[in-house]
Amino acid sequence: MYDIATIVVGIIQVLAMLALAPLLTGIIRKTKARTQKRIGASILQPYYDLLKLVRKDEVISDQTSWIFRACPWVNFAAMATAAFFIPVFLVYTPFGLVGDLLLVVGLFALGRFFTMLAGLDVASSFGGLGSSREMMISALLEPALFLSIFVVAITYGGTNLSTMIEASSNSSFLPHPQIIFAAIGLFIIILGETGRLPFDNPATHLELTMVHETMILEYSGKSLAMMEWSQSIKQIILFTLMVNIFVPWGISSSILFSSLAVGFFMFAGKISLFGIFVAFLESSVAKWRLFRIPDLIAIAIATSMIGIVLCYL
Amino acid sequence: METMQFDVLTISGAVLLIATFGIVATRGFMDWLNAYRYQSIVLSGVTAIIGYVTGIWEIYIAAGLTLVIKSIIIPKVLTYVTRKLEIEFKLETNPYVSIRASVIISALLVALSYFLIQQIPFKSDQIVNAYLPVSMAQFFIGLFVLVNRRTVLSQVVGLLIIENGLFLFAMALTHGVSLLIEVGIFVDILVGILISSILLFRISRTFDSLDVGKLENLRDD
Amino acid sequence: MVSNLILFQISVLLFLGGALLGLLSRNSRFSRHAIFVPSMIGSIFTIMFSIGVITGKPITWMIPNAVPFFDLEIFVDGISAFFLLIIGIVSFAVSLYSIGYSKEYQIEKRTAALGFLFNIFVLSMILVVSSNNAFFFLVFWESMSLTSFFLVIYDHDKEENLKSGMTYLVMTHLGTAFIFASFLLGYIQTGSFSFDSFRHGSAGFPLFVKNLVFIFAFIGFGTKAGMVPLHGWLPKAHPSAPSNISALMSAVMIKIGIYGIIRTIFDFSGFGVSPDFVWWGMLLIVFGSASAIVGVLYAVVERDIKRALAFSSIENIGIILVGLGLSVVFASFQLTAFAVLALVASMYHTINHAVFKGLLFMGAGSVVSATHTKNIEHLGGLVKQMPWTALLFLIGAISISGLPPFNGFVSEWFTMQSLLSSHHIPSTILQISIAFASLPFALTIGIAAATFVKLFGMTFLSKARSKHAIHIKEVSRSMILGMSILAAACVLLGVVPYLGTSLISTAFHLSSQPSSPFDSVSIQNSSGKSFANLSMPVVVIILSSVLVAIFGFIRVLGGNTKKTAYGTWDCGFGGLNERMEYTPTSLSQPIRAVFKVFFKPHNQTEKESFGENPYLLKTVKIETVVKNIFEEMLYAPMVSSFVFFFDKVRRLQTGKINAYLLYIMITLVLLLLFVRLSNNV
Repeated sequence: MYDIATIVVGIIQVLAMLALAPLLTGIIRKTKARTQKRIGASILQPYYDLLKLVRKDEVISDQTSWIFRACPWVNFAAMATAAFFIPVFLVYTPFGLVGDLLLVVGLFALGRFFTMLAGLDVASSFGGLGSSREMMISALLEPALFLSIFVVAITYGGTNLSTMIEASSNSSFLPHPQIIFAAIGLFIIILGETGRLPFDNPATHLELTMVHETMILEYSGKSLAMMEWSQSIKQIILFTLMVNIFVPWGISSSILFSSLAVGFFMFAGKISLFGIFVAFLESSVAKWRLFRIPDLIAIAIATSMIGIVLCYL
Repeated sequence: METMQFDVLTISGAVLLIATFGIVATRGFMDWLNAYRYQSIVLSGVTAIIGYVTGIWEIYIAAGLTLVIKSIIIPKVLTYVTRKLEIEFKLETNPYVSIRASVIISALLVALSYFLIQQIPFKSDQIVNAYLPVSMAQFFIGLFVLVNRRTVLSQVVGLLIIENGLFLFAMALTHGVSLLIEVGIFVDILVGILISSILLFRISRTFDSLDVGKLENLRDD
Repeated sequence: MVSNLILFQISVLLFLGGALLGLLSRNSRFSRHAIFVPSMIGSIFTIMFSIGVITGKPITWMIPNAVPFFDLEIFVDGISAFFLLIIGIVSFAVSLYSIGYSKEYQIEKRTAALGFLFNIFVLSMILVVSSNNAFFFLVFWESMSLTSFFLVIYDHDKEENLKSGMTYLVMTHLGTAFIFASFLLGYIQTGSFSFDSFRHGSAGFPLFVKNLVFIFAFIGFGTKAGMVPLHGWLPKAHPSAPSNISALMSAVMIKIGIYGIIRTIFDFSGFGVSPDFVWWGMLLIVFGSASAIVGVLYAVVERDIKRALAFSSIENIGIILVGLGLSVVFASFQLTAFAVLALVASMYHTINHAVFKGLLFMGAGSVVSATHTKNIEHLGGLVKQMPWTALLFLIGAISISGLPPFNGFVSEWFTMQSLLSSHHIPSTILQISIAFASLPFALTIGIAAATFVKLFGMTFLSKARSKHAIHIKEVSRSMILGMSILAAACVLLGVVPYLGTSLISTAFHLSSQPSSPFDSVSIQNSSGKSFANLSMPVVVIILSSVLVAIFGFIRVLGGNTKKTAYGTWDCGFGGLNERMEYTPTSLSQPIRAVFKVFFKPHNQTEKESFGENPYLLKTVKIETVVKNIFEEMLYAPMVSSFVFFFDKVRRLQTGKINAYLLYIMITLVLLLLFVRLSNNV
C-alpha cells in the first residue's frame, strides 16, 4: 500500500512524539512558573527527571500484586501504540489502515483502567480516593468525547485520522460552523483527559485536590518514570489532535524533505503555542470542586450536541 | 461570495448560541450578568451583520442601541438596584433542574428549534435561514430558565434572554421594522427592568426571600 | 462424512442421556462426571453440527404428527446455527466448570436434580433455536423456562431465592403470553403453525398485522432478553441460581430472546424496504439505549458481585439491541452495506457477551464458592490466594469494558461505527436522534469500565476486608479449565476479529468481509476514502513490539536496579489497616452523587454514644440505600395506578408559578410540534 519511505516517515513521527512529549511538559511548567513570577526549572527538566528516575532503585509496596507492577508497562505500551495512529507533521500516517481515532480512545481507556486498578492495589486510602474520582471523571468524559468525535468524523468524512486531517487541511472551517462547537467540546475534554486544571491539579500534593497523582503515589524509580512519561505522551497526542484537526496550517502533504521540515517546524510552533495557552489558562483558573466538574463536562456534551445539529442542517 | 456570506451568518449565529449557553451555565448574579453582557455584544455584532447584508442603515442604529443599552446600561442598572441585596438572594443555589442537566436540556431545545424552523416559508432568505432557529432557541432557553429557576433575580435573566431572542427574531424576519418602534422597544425593556428590579428589591425586603416557590403559600387549600 | 442431522440427533440423545444419568445416579465419586461429561460431549457435537450448517447446508428434519395435529419440524439454518454455536461453546465450558463446581452441592444436596435440570435446560435451549413450528417452539420455550425456574430455586432453603424464583416465573410467563399472541396472529393470517408458512406468507400480511406481530414479539422476547423496563426478574433470578446456571442464563438464555427478535423481524413479520418499518428500528434503539444506561448505572453501585454482573447483562443486551435497531433502520432505507455493518456489530456483541459474561459468572462462582459470600464489601486481596481465577476474571473484565485488544472493544467499535454511519440516512430527524442516542451509549461504555474496575479491584486487589477473604484456596482444576476456554475465546475474538466477522457473515449470508485475518476491516465514506479502518492483529503486533522495545530501552538507559518491598506509604503514622481502605460503596460514591436524580440515595445513620455527650460515639452505623426506581416507580404504581392517576390530575394545580409556566411551555412545544408534524416534509 505505502512505500518504505512513507513507513519510515511514519515511524519517525512516532519517535518524535515519544521524544518531544517531556519537552511539552517542560514548556507548560516553565510558562506556569513565569506567570507566577518564578523563574522555574529549565524546560528540559522533565528529561533530567526521567533519566534520574530510571537509574534509581525501586521501593514497592508489599501489599501489591503483579497488576501494580504491570501497570506502568501497559500504560506506556498503550500510549506509545496510540501515537502510531496520529498524523503529526505529515498529513497522513501509514498506520491509518491499522487503527482509527476510536482505537486511540480505546487505548487511552486501557491505560486508565490499569492505572485505576493500580491505585486500588496499594491498599491505602489515597489510591482508592484517586481511583474513585477518576472513575467518575472518565465515565463522564466518554460520552462527551464520543459526541465531539462524532461531529468531527461526519464533517471530515471519517474516524480514520489520516482522512480526517487530510480533509481538514484541504478545507477552511468557515463552511463548517459545527467545527467550532466540536473544538470547544474537545478542548474541555482534553483538559480533563490530561488532568489539567480545573479538573485536576497536576502540581499538587494535597489529597483534597489530587486525582491522577494519588493513583501513582506508590510508584518510584523506573515505574514512576514510565508513568510520568506515558502521561506526557498522552498529553502530546491529545494536543496534536487538537492542533492538527482544528488548525492544520502548514502540515506537510508530501514526503519531500523540504515540506516535511516546514511541517515539523510549524507543528513544533503550533503545539508550543497551544501548550503556552493551556498554561496561561491553568494559571488563571482555580481547581473546581469535584462535583462541579460534571457541569463543565455537561457544557462539552451540550456544545457537541449543537455541533451535531449544525452538521445536519 | 454567496456561500461565504452564508458561512459568516451561520458562524455568527453559532457564536450567539455559545454566548447564550454561557448564561445558562452560570448561577451567580454577577456571572450571569457578565455572560448577558457578552451575549448582547455578540447580538449587536449579529445585528450589524444583518445591516451589512441587507444594506439598511437603520439597522446599524439598532445595533448601536443594542450595544449601549443591553451591554452597558441594563447591567449597570441591575447592579445598581441590587447592590443592597444580600448575597444569598443573588445566587441561584437550588434550581429545580441542576445546572448540568439544564445545559443538556438547552442543547435539546436548540435541536428542537432547528427542527421546528426547518419548514418555514422564507427558505431562500439566508438571514432567516441562519438566525431564525437561533432566535427561537434563545426564546426556548429563556423560557426554560424562567421555569427552572427559583429566585426572582435569576428569573429576570430568563426574561432578558427571551427578549434578546425576540429582538433577533424580529430583525431576522422583518430586517428592522422601523427605527421608531425599535427605540420604543428598547425603552420599554429598560423601564421593564427598572420596575422589576425595584419590585424585587421590595419583595426581598418584605418577605425576606426571593424564592418564587414561596408564592405557593398564596394558594388556597 | 457424517451428516449434520445425525450429529444433531446424537447431541440431543447425549443431553437426554446426561439427564437420565442424573436421575439414576447415586451420590458417588463419579456422579458429577456422569452428569456433566455427556453434556460436554453433547456440546462438542452441537459445535460440530452448527459449524457444519454455517459452512454447508441447513438441517431439516420432520416427524409428522409427533403430537396429534402438530408436526415436529426441525430446521437449522445459518441464523439458528450461529446461536447454537454460542450455546455449544458456552455449555461446553460451563459443563467442564460444573464438574468441579458442583462438588460443594454434592455434600449438602443430591446432585441428581442439578444434573437432570442442567441437561434438560441446555437441551431445550438447543431445541427452541432449532424448532420450526410455533407449537413446538412454545413447548420447548416453556420447558426452558420451567427448568431454569427450578434451577433458580435450587437453593430453596433460602426465602429470598424462592421469592426471586416466583418473580421470574410470573414475568417469563407474561412474556410467553405475548409471544403466543404474536404466533397466533401469524396463524390467523396463514392458517398454519409452521414457521415455513409464516416465512412465505408474512409479506402479504396487512401492515397493521405486521406491526402487531412485531410489537407482541418485541415485548415477549424482550422480557426474556431482560430489556428495560421488563428486566425486573433478571437481577433477582440470575444471582439466586447456582453460578454455573447463572453463567448459562446470562450468557446464553437471554440471547434466545435476541434470537426471537431477529427471527421475527427478518423472517415472520414481513419486514421489507419501506419507511413503514423505520420505527421498529427506532423502538429497538430507544429501548436498547435505555437498557444499556439503566443496567450499567445499577451495576456500578451494586455490592453483590453476581447481581452486578446480572445488571451488566441488561446493559449488554441494550448494546446488542442498539446495533440490531440500527440494522433495521438502515435496512428499511435500503442502505444495505450499513445494515450489514450494524448487524455484524450486534451479532459480534452477542457472541462476545456470551463468552465474557459466561467467564465472569464462572469467575464470580469461583469467588463465591471459595469465600462463601457474594458481597464484595467483605472481599479483597484474592489475587494472591487465587491467582488463576484473578487472571481469568481480569481478562473478562477488560473484555467487557470494551478495551483493546480484547473482544469487547471490537464489537463496540463496530457499534460505534454503525452509529456514525447514521449520517447516510436520508432524514434529518432520524440522523439527529440517532446521534443523540449515542450519548447514553457512550456513557454506558464509560461507566461499564468503572464498574469492572470496582468489581475486579474490590474483589481481588488490596487487603482482605473481612475473615471471608483470608485463608482460602484456589478453586479446582476443572473450574479453571472451564474458565480458560472462554478466556481464550475472548482473546481470540479480540485479536483476530476476522474469526467473528467471517463467522457472522457466512451464517447470515452477508456480503463478504475481509479475506484474510490481517486485512483490516474498512468502511468507506461517500467520497470513496477510508472512513475507518481497524486491523487488530497489527495493533497487537505494534503493542507487543513497543512493549519489548521500551523494556530494552529502559534497561539499557537505567541499568539493573534493585527492587525493595516495603509497606505502603502511611503518612508516617503507621498501622495502615484494612479498615482504612476504600470500600466498594465509597468507591462508587462520586458516580452515585452525579446521578442522584436517578439513584435517590439516602444514608441511614444510627449512633450510639457514651453517656450524655453526643460527640463521644461508641458505634456509628451508616447504611447507604439506593432506590430501585423501576420497582418503586413502575411496578408498584401499576398496582395502584388509578388512584395515582387521579391524584396527579388534582396536583396540576400546584400554585407554583414555575409549574404554570411549564404547562404553557409544554403546550406551546406540543402545538408547534403538532403543526410541524402534520405537514410533514
